Amino acid sequence: MNVIPIRSSCSIRVTVNGRPVELDVRPEALLLDVLRDRLQLKGAKRSCDMQVCGACTVLLDGAPVSACTFLAVEADGREIVTVEGLGTEERLDPLQEAFIDHAAVQCGFCTAGMLLTAKALLAEDPAPTRQRVVHYLRGNLCRCTGYRKIVEAILACAHER
Amino acid sequence: MLRPFALYRPSTVGEAAEVLVREGPDAALYAGGTEVLLILKEGLLRVRSLVDVKRIPGLDEIRRDDGHLSIGATATHRALERAPAVHAHCPIVAGVARHVANIRVRTIGTVGGNLAFADPHSDLATLFLAFDGVVRLASPSGERDLPLAEFVRGPYETARRDDEILAAVRLAPWPAGTAGAYVKFGVHERPTLGVAVALMRGAGGDAVTDARLAVGCVGPRPQRLPEAEARVRGWSLADLARHAGEVAALAARDVDAVGDLHGSAEYKREMTRVFVQRILLVAGARAAGRDPHERYPHTVIV
Amino acid sequence: MIRVTRDLDVGATPEDLWALLWDVPRMVGCVPGCVEAREVEPNRRYEARLTQRVGPITLSVPLEVTVSKVAAPSGLTLEAKGRDRLLGANVSLSVTLGVAPSDTGSRVRVEAEGRILGKLGALGHGVIQRKAEEVIDEFGARLRRAVER
Repeated sequence: MNVIPIRSSCSIRVTVNGRPVELDVRPEALLLDVLRDRLQLKGAKRSCDMQVCGACTVLLDGAPVSACTFLAVEADGREIVTVEGLGTEERLDPLQEAFIDHAAVQCGFCTAGMLLTAKALLAEDPAPTRQRVVHYLRGNLCRCTGYRKIVEAILACAHER
Repeated sequence: MLRPFALYRPSTVGEAAEVLVREGPDAALYAGGTEVLLILKEGLLRVRSLVDVKRIPGLDEIRRDDGHLSIGATATHRALERAPAVHAHCPIVAGVARHVANIRVRTIGTVGGNLAFADPHSDLATLFLAFDGVVRLASPSGERDLPLAEFVRGPYETARRDDEILAAVRLAPWPAGTAGAYVKFGVHERPTLGVAVALMRGAGGDAVTDARLAVGCVGPRPQRLPEAEARVRGWSLADLARHAGEVAALAARDVDAVGDLHGSAEYKREMTRVFVQRILLVAGARAAGRDPHERYPHTVIV
Repeated sequence: MIRVTRDLDVGATPEDLWALLWDVPRMVGCVPGCVEAREVEPNRRYEARLTQRVGPITLSVPLEVTVSKVAAPSGLTLEAKGRDRLLGANVSLSVTLGVAPSDTGSRVRVEAEGRILGKLGALGHGVIQRKAEEVIDEFGARLRRAVER
């Protein structure tokens, strides 16, 4: 039986934003803390800390998960994408461009989570209806924009492809 | 930050049971972690070990088995939403799974975790009652089946013994010609009210021959409402359209409602009345070959 | 605020019933989950530990119990206070027991009022109220068994 004893670390190999990373983590380490504190990827935010708000969203093998309530050890052998993995230094991801064009960012706190969730949606469904977008993003909360511009940005991005 | 614990990853039921029995209340079962990690974070639970059951083979299977739909305990809500066997035999289950919590919880959270945590506010537990759900519990000495209504004993409390894990839940698909519907209502992350209804009809007949009515989220555990179910037996669709309010009143009378942050017991009883009536009318319309596409605020109808 | 009131018919004389109630450690021992009940100051102060589970969550509180009011042989009020350090839950309870003669022997009225403050509140008032009712119901049953012997 595979066991990680209490207070001991185990080595995990994760692909983060396309790059292989090897880390020693304890069983109780949460993915959000590992991403922010060990890998300096500050895009994912700790907000509600109970997987309700979506500010900590990262993609695990392409699907959205709450990094605040996810054990880092479970990421072993898998691919993580954070907002830092969208686009490049030279070119933003089309979703990021759309968010800017449609003024879908105010304070920016929810933005990383919104972008990654939208990314996952468009990978599954390149031409979603408005209803589908709203349903998919229902677990990502925004206190600033009132959501309309975020939905429009996502639809515009889908339409443009 | 979580307090330290050991992580056990058994590959058999026997290995899992061995740890559970040895550690007792110092160990907790873990699959998706969407419930247990939360209460660990809140400090409501302290453990020295988590027992991860995701490596036990077969526990995530969703398949037809001996006339039933068998849903493995470690199947995620997302898998349930997409499984061909679900779409073939109990399509409404896929529709309800699609609306559980949020997209992130659906990616990671499991059906077994949902049932075994026994949070009173559960869509699946409510819906599965309307499918005469039976849970299969596995231990080193074998397996036993328990009706879902007996498995869920109260808030956060199940009949699982210390050396058992929840292996699967088995649903009895509704017969052809059944008109079913599910409604969930609420503004919070978890539903305030869930109602599942199924109206069975005989071949070629208009009359309701049998019914299932389950109400959940409003009390300590989801419940079937046998008197309300009995009332509609023998009714024509026209009877149903005219008298749905009576059945709803019966349901409101019989439901066990407990006040909490979602509302007072009185409020929940009234919402039960309102939504049982609405969902009966939806099911009745579907039985007549129409889908009314009614929309209500903060309400999802599947 | 959790409130539970129960009336119990017991097949024993009021005197026998009072004798049990006034034997505080023995009476407290009838409360399910209450263990280690001991006397600190006769007829005045006692200590006990109350342990109750709601699903996976266990509340375990060392209680200081004080007799705040006595009207022998018909009534008695206890106040209990304690803190579950692990859960960060503060518990304070007040239980009034009244004894009156009845056709069957005696009638006991149990009036319990209490607050549980802290994270445990996340379970919801309804869940805790129900649990309190179960505990008081079981207490009543054990009281009856103890005195009808």
